[in-house]
Amino acid sequence: MELNVINMYPDVLNLYGDSGNITCIKQRAKWRGITLNIQDLTVSSDVQVNEDTDMILIGGGSDSGQSTVATNLLKQASALENYIENDGVILAISGSYQMFGQTYIDPNNNKLPCLELLDINSISQGEKLMGNIVTKANIDLSNVNQNLDTFVGFESHTARTKHNYEPLGFVQAGFGNNDEDKKEGAVYKNFIGSYLHGPILPKNPHLADYMILKALENKYDIDKLEVLDDEIEINAHNSMVNKILTK
Amino acid sequence: MTSVNTKLSKFIGKSAYYVAKKCGKNATALPGKVALTVKSDLLLDMGKKCDKIIVTTGSNGKTTTTTLLNHVLKGSYDSVISNLGGSNMIQGVLTPFVVDSKDHYDFGVFEVDEGSIATVFEYITPDYFIITNFFRDQLDRYGETDNTIKMVHDAIKPETTLILNSNEPSLLQFDDLPNKKIYTNLEENQFSKHEIKVVENILCPNCGQTFDYDYVNYGNVGKFNCPNCGTKNHDPDYNATSINVDKGHYEFTLQNNGKEETYTLYLKGLYNVYNTIGVIAAAKEVGMDYNTINERIQNFEYKQGRMETINYKNKDVTLVLSKNPVGLSEVFTTFGYDKDEKVVMYVMNSYAPDGIDVSWIWDADFEQVAEFEGLKRFYCVGTRAEDVATRVKYAGIPTDKISVYPAKDRWDIKQAIEDIVNEDVNAFITTSFTALPETRRLLIEHKENEN
Repeated sequence: MELNVINMYPDVLNLYGDSGNITCIKQRAKWRGITLNIQDLTVSSDVQVNEDTDMILIGGGSDSGQSTVATNLLKQASALENYIENDGVILAISGSYQMFGQTYIDPNNNKLPCLELLDINSISQGEKLMGNIVTKANIDLSNVNQNLDTFVGFESHTARTKHNYEPLGFVQAGFGNNDEDKKEGAVYKNFIGSYLHGPILPKNPHLADYMILKALENKYDIDKLEVLDDEIEINAHNSMVNKILTK
Repeated sequence: MTSVNTKLSKFIGKSAYYVAKKCGKNATALPGKVALTVKSDLLLDMGKKCDKIIVTTGSNGKTTTTTLLNHVLKGSYDSVISNLGGSNMIQGVLTPFVVDSKDHYDFGVFEVDEGSIATVFEYITPDYFIITNFFRDQLDRYGETDNTIKMVHDAIKPETTLILNSNEPSLLQFDDLPNKKIYTNLEENQFSKHEIKVVENILCPNCGQTFDYDYVNYGNVGKFNCPNCGTKNHDPDYNATSINVDKGHYEFTLQNNGKEETYTLYLKGLYNVYNTIGVIAAAKEVGMDYNTINERIQNFEYKQGRMETINYKNKDVTLVLSKNPVGLSEVFTTFGYDKDEKVVMYVMNSYAPDGIDVSWIWDADFEQVAEFEGLKRFYCVGTRAEDVATRVKYAGIPTDKISVYPAKDRWDIKQAIEDIVNEDVNAFITTSFTALPETRRLLIEHKENEN
């Protein structure tokens, strides 16, 4: 089995260790003998999203980095729209999660360029929402095996994000999309947006496997993944859940 | 004339010093803090006691640069005052003046935290300002690196001479300042790499393009050029042209003013060569001669866990602090110089001084550790031991070589240290900020028990 992954703008959107997400997908595929072809899409490369693309990872960055990327990526907006509508798997963290939406107003009240592909709106206001976060998973994880039903991570954002999609999780500790509705992230088809750094995937191996399985299901007749020994990851996950929830 | 307030605030600060010392605390910041409550501009008076002031800031290398420069200057000058304890906010700069009460110093040599530069420069204007580098460092404290650079940039007054590493591309952001600038450089050498990790690359501050590199000495530090607008390294005033390593020490040749001089350094790590070139530039600029500088650099011995080696009967243990991806990657590279069988330990906490967010370890190059010849075991220790273990596993180190010692607090590392001390091969330990004192204390205790 084989997956084509586009790692988007690792040179610009690389705050808070989001590079760990690609490392995580790469290793979990390798341990199962799945071939991954990873292409880095950067400001100066001409990698295209097309029908062969199986997974897209895009991280968080500074507001200036985010503007650079949005402007650069705008030329691929319709390809991305097709990709999302055709169940393409995509993980967009923090600033990129905002960028797939309609509007993002920065702390200086400037409207930053957005891809306008999803009905998501973000406005920077008030205190930075920062710290460790635990959410209760709101996606069907029954086909991935780790018996984990929470997500842990670290969030750091001034924007308050609102939308009517299903959230990725319900906040148990921390802030999430905004400081009101206790929802974190957004799920539309196989688009996953989230504020979770940490990075999100290594300590949430069930989410990594959920994405790998969805991508494989799109091209192979498969409904389960080979089970891995995740003792180390699960301990890392649980120790943070315990620390945060018992605080 | 010293005002009554100055005297009073120093008296109270000094009292705090003695009280803290009596209680067994390292009084590196408290006396300054207490004195500040009495007279908030005390640093203004204290700064005037120094003929010349040299300040160092940057993500990595502040403490090493300050300690080494203090040591070098003492080769020619009687009175040099410094905040050698590593406390580097305004109270840390003030504390040595409160504790020591001379009326005059030849040099004040201070390290100042990037976030405290603006406050400190309200009261003192340094003659020389060494800026080492800006790497992503505890983002949760300052926001983003660009903001940190801007804070430092905006605090600089035109009378100060800047000493800048020309290989560090983010220092291009000081180009617009009218200040006199002295640039240092380390040319391509046997340790240079020819590709940059994509996450470490930064964009040209003039046009936003990605830099091309001829060589990288570590992180994003090297010879770069912008393929779009032609921005490149500044021509150096102090240029290290060749570097050799022999039995754990470096020899390098430094060109300045048409002369070539050779220096010997016993600190490991290319980043320490960079720190040393900055120190040499400062010492030369204030008029010191080559022989004295070289002698002082050669006989400099580092303690307190900044690449410190502790010798046990049957092995050596190397201890070094690391606090951001570039620093940690370079520390691992240095560990890899030793090709024999060895064990590595990383003690990581997430208290405020460490940064409560540990996600940056994913940007550090743990993958090279998986390639180490003779890696016997990797010890993951501290309040974030499980995070380290996950990182280490994904770097490709087999799980049967990973030992995890979760700690409930910063003192809960006794078993891990005991186990690594009982190993019969050389050990390499790196720690986060708050983990360093207890790790070092336990290592020294084991060594003393050996005798």
